[in-house]
Amino acid sequence: MSLQYLKEAAAAGDREKLIRYVRLHFGDGNEEAGRAEIDKAWIAALEPLLDVPPTDRAFILETLATKDVATLAHLFFHLHFHFVQRSGDWIHDGRL
Amino acid sequence: MTAGSEADASAPRQLRPGLWQTVNERYPGSMITKHDLVPLAPLRKPLSECRVTFISTSGVQPKGTTPFDTVHPVGDYSFRRVPSSARVDELEIHQLKYPTAGAERDLNVIFPIDRLRELVAEGVIGGLTDDFYTFIGYNMDPERLERTLAEDIAAAVSAEGADIALAAPA
Repeated sequence: MSLQYLKEAAAAGDREKLIRYVRLHFGDGNEEAGRAEIDKAWIAALEPLLDVPPTDRAFILETLATKDVATLAHLFFHLHFHFVQRSGDWIHDGRL
Repeated sequence: MTAGSEADASAPRQLRPGLWQTVNERYPGSMITKHDLVPLAPLRKPLSECRVTFISTSGVQPKGTTPFDTVHPVGDYSFRRVPSSARVDELEIHQLKYPTAGAERDLNVIFPIDRLRELVAEGVIGGLTDDFYTFIGYNMDPERLERTLAEDIAAAVSAEGADIALAAPA
């Protein structure tokens, strides 16, 4: 899949092609693995909040309000891999 | 573009005729087309007098430099200079898309910096450029890759006076 392929899918509103690409990216070319990686990241993000510890919400709100959408989207991808790594169940061959 | 005809052996030959067709067959949707001629470059002096550079998609980089962006969904179009004098323990890998376990044990299996210095010491090659060049191979925009990364590395290699560029995918 090329960038052109993804842009055409986005322009056509072809969500299945786009999410399939995201899964392939997260799963190193394996769509099912990528689907499981997305689930894993969300669970790893949920668990630290179960005891409702204090969080720096001012930082979060300021970041969301002041950073451009591309930076936030990039951060979103970083957070996915960060929480997957934090889960201790690391399927990737290399390192971030 | 196809290879030069047998009748004109001196004509420039395409380095890898059919390469893009192969890429598109193996990676459906990649939509890569490329018709430029990439001619073979004949060696103009003995290997023992040549300055060699090394270009790698291994994601090897000096420790302390900004890690390659392994998470970006469209890829990272930057490159790093790796001093050819660097010790292996001064380098690290940032890359997710190939198995690095072997390279973590011996970086030379993917980034043969010690082996190239040995070839210089043995007189097999004339010398090395001050820097080698690395990037990560996960890039979804081949036009951007060519326009930025490839052109920038090519300019840097030329500026360093390399006679040979040894390019190795990870």
